[in-house]
Amino acid sequence: MSALLSVEDIHTFIGQFHILEGVSIEVPANSITALLGRNGAGKTTSLRSIIGLNPPSRGAIRFQGKVISGQRAFEIAQLGIGYVPDYRAIFRQLTVEENLRIAERKKGDLDRKKAFILALFPDLGRLYAWPGGQLSGGQQQMLAIARALVPDNQLLLIDEPSEGLAPVIIEQLMAAIRQLSGQTTVLLVEQNFRVARVLADRYVIVEDGRSVHSGLMADLAGDQALINRYLGAA
Amino acid sequence: MSAARVERARNSGALSFSILMLYVALPYGVAALTGTPEPNLGALAAWHSAAESVYCEEGLTPVTVILMVETLSMIVAALLARRSGDRWGALGVALRRDGGHLLAVMLLIGLPFLISWQTESSVCTRGRAFYWESVLIDAFILAILAISYNLLFGFTGVVSFGHALFFGLGAYIVGLLMKHLGAPWWLAILAALMGGVLIALVKGVVGLRIKGLYFALFTLAFAQVFFLLAGNRLMVNITGAEDGFTFKVPDWLNTTQNRFFFYLATLAVLVLAFVVVRRLMNSPTGRVLSALRDNESRAQMLGYNTFYFKLISIVLAGVLAALAGVLRGVALKGASPGVLSIDFTITPLIMVIIGGVGTFIGPVLGAFLIHLTEEALRDTVITIGTLSVNIGERWALILGLLFILIVLVFPRGIVGSVQAWWGRSKR
Amino acid sequence: MTTTTPPALRSTTLRQSLIVSGLFVVGLLVINFVFFPPSTVVTVVLSGLYQGMLFFLVASGMSIVFGLLDVLNLAQGAFFMIGAYAGFAIYGTLPESVSLEVRFVAALVGATVFGGLVGLAVEVGLLRPLYARPVFQIVLTFGLASAINEIVRAIYGPAGLIPIDPPAFLDTTLAIAGGRFETYRVFIIAVGLILMVGISLLLQRTRLGIVIRAGVQDREMVEALGINVRRVFTLVFMLGTAVAALGGMTAAPFLGAYPGMGTDFLLTAVIVIVIGGMSSYEGTAIASILVGLTRATAEQISLQYLNTPILASVSILIFMIVVLLVRPSGLFGKE
Repeated sequence: MSALLSVEDIHTFIGQFHILEGVSIEVPANSITALLGRNGAGKTTSLRSIIGLNPPSRGAIRFQGKVISGQRAFEIAQLGIGYVPDYRAIFRQLTVEENLRIAERKKGDLDRKKAFILALFPDLGRLYAWPGGQLSGGQQQMLAIARALVPDNQLLLIDEPSEGLAPVIIEQLMAAIRQLSGQTTVLLVEQNFRVARVLADRYVIVEDGRSVHSGLMADLAGDQALINRYLGAA
Repeated sequence: MSAARVERARNSGALSFSILMLYVALPYGVAALTGTPEPNLGALAAWHSAAESVYCEEGLTPVTVILMVETLSMIVAALLARRSGDRWGALGVALRRDGGHLLAVMLLIGLPFLISWQTESSVCTRGRAFYWESVLIDAFILAILAISYNLLFGFTGVVSFGHALFFGLGAYIVGLLMKHLGAPWWLAILAALMGGVLIALVKGVVGLRIKGLYFALFTLAFAQVFFLLAGNRLMVNITGAEDGFTFKVPDWLNTTQNRFFFYLATLAVLVLAFVVVRRLMNSPTGRVLSALRDNESRAQMLGYNTFYFKLISIVLAGVLAALAGVLRGVALKGASPGVLSIDFTITPLIMVIIGGVGTFIGPVLGAFLIHLTEEALRDTVITIGTLSVNIGERWALILGLLFILIVLVFPRGIVGSVQAWWGRSKR
Repeated sequence: MTTTTPPALRSTTLRQSLIVSGLFVVGLLVINFVFFPPSTVVTVVLSGLYQGMLFFLVASGMSIVFGLLDVLNLAQGAFFMIGAYAGFAIYGTLPESVSLEVRFVAALVGATVFGGLVGLAVEVGLLRPLYARPVFQIVLTFGLASAINEIVRAIYGPAGLIPIDPPAFLDTTLAIAGGRFETYRVFIIAVGLILMVGISLLLQRTRLGIVIRAGVQDREMVEALGINVRRVFTLVFMLGTAVAALGGMTAAPFLGAYPGMGTDFLLTAVIVIVIGGMSSYEGTAIASILVGLTRATAEQISLQYLNTPILASVSILIFMIVVLLVRPSGLFGKE
């Protein structure tokens, strides 16, 4: 089974704190996998470990078969992994266009992808010259995802895209993400189980820094007991 | 801790002090008894002149012998205390805890005598020993300054680039008051210290609202203003502008004549500063300061008024630095804008970092090491191939390079690194 | 798809700061006209401008480096000095047969390049190992400045070098509105303006500029986008030191070169970036002019009424202290 991304029993420390104590995730290509769990379970840290911002001290991470854990974050990104953090990380003083331009890895990336991105997120076209800081929360989230689409990324790491957004916007986002999954693989951290259930094909549950359960989303959706156990009141 | 142990710990401080007093009193007493008093003097003065007649002799004096015997017994006692000090009650605690420090102070007291013995010169008049006393006095003053900077920077974590302000103010205030107002020595010194407190309060109250780096820059600007004011020509009649001014001090404080007494006095102040800072840092207040340094927001969340604690640290550090400045002013019998210059902020900073930031003995060690090495190598010339380097001239450069090396490789400084290595090898 | 233009192009605080700066300049001019005859005013204003440009050359590198690397490069003044000395060295080693103009230009270019190379060595060798310990980084640059000073003193001696002559066409005096002003100082103003505009274009129009502006806001995200941030750090640091070195060489024909010159300009550069806002490029540019004008005005008043230039330095120090107390993030800093 050739998973696009394979996280193998990683342990990650932040300072002296042992945040991840054995997390394993398999993400097959061209699917959406949801990383679920309660607050503080270690989901964000898992993503940060994958992208290399908080490298794991034990265990290995493989992307397309090659070990990437231990490389610098920019090297990992250049392999084709896009990261959309939970705080969106929009460069507030740069315009929408500049936010997209900076994500280019090869010259002309944005020009090639512009039509696609604007079709996915029409609002961004209207806001092209606006400074990122003046966008609404939902628009920033779209920009953050759009930014990850500029270069040729095979894997997108998206952290809590629906947080703090109005339901209408969430619908738009979900539609966009669903459209993406045809060409790109997504590992999605989502606190909102309803969103995750609709979008994801597979799931991995993290609790207290350990991965405790994984499988097909279809199976999880029907298992209320499991949902209550690991995800609290979902 | 059991009541008995607490009692013993408390008494041990007094005991350490008594040991030191005994160490000094014994040779002095013997000298006074066996010496020849000068005629026509009051009882106390005659007693002192008798002692002087003995210890001011050149070469090996009875005083030197007594000091050596005392020091050796101290070493033996300290070693014994390490092994079986538990049974010695308060004395054991005193020797084990302070033995090393006491020994260091004793050696420093006896050092001039040792030098005078080796060089056949007198501790009281012109000669090698006399010269080295002056070097050591400077080292003591710098050590006090370094201790004060370490309190602020090493223990409380407050970065300051304007520390020279207190040092310079101490020298200027004590000198100006004595020169222009004819103030008595104790009043001038008190005023200088009060001035230090006042300026520290102003600096703290006004500046501590600002965050870390900005506060450091504020201290830099603040100090620089005073530096410029001191050197300006408008007040040349008062301050002597760029050249500074000189003032007269009472005979007994005059280092040209009574240098050994000043040596002891400065050493006493150094010991005092050391003890005060150590006491403070071992107290509950000190623990708050450490917590503040490590994580200020956490300390605030725990409910501590961090502003108040930082202010305490600034004021105490300021007073100690001002005291060092006073000593320097009196030692040189003058002051010039140089004492307010950034040199006297950089110097303690370098000493603290090389010695060991955040340790007790580090700043003292750093000050001694740097100043004494500079003095010892003043005229040494090293030749490598065709390049000859006069160490005295290039000292600032060597120091700067050494400083960079330490920051990169041994950020804990000498003492800190030794402590870390010691701790690791014990495990 | 039609792009709309963003609403208020500037936020209110930005507008406030611009208004304050404008009022300040107006205020300074008023003071000038009140105290001095018009010919002196012109001299003072031009003096303020050229001083401001020199401050800008030292401060711009400091400010961008601080925004991007979180390091306050206190050795920046030393790079200013290095530029002057390197320029002198180049000037002196070129044979007499080469014309003055060429030697001068060669010195300018050479000094800039040399400053950049030394900056490269410093960043890679000394600063990189200390990224995790910002306090020590500042302390290190402090020590480095001192060490560089001493090295220069060791090589060239404590006395300064006599100013070299600028090319003939710059070595004249202009008569402007009744006051005399050396053309060379106008040259300095021109150099400063060119760099101000040039750096601004770099920041706004080039990819490197976008990366820098983004990195100032969020280093981590820039790295997560696949950009080697450390290399950008080094490049930016080098540019900063190169510009400072250029400043030093530009100033050399009338300041000469002496070991303490770095420290004087360092302190003023710090004042400039504090007033302007420590990581704001626009802030640094505007503040350097404000500080320059303030200093020139205060100096003139001080000389006229007190016979000593002391108010010059004291005034800008007080300016900085006031800004720190009222708005520590500076006129254009973010808070």
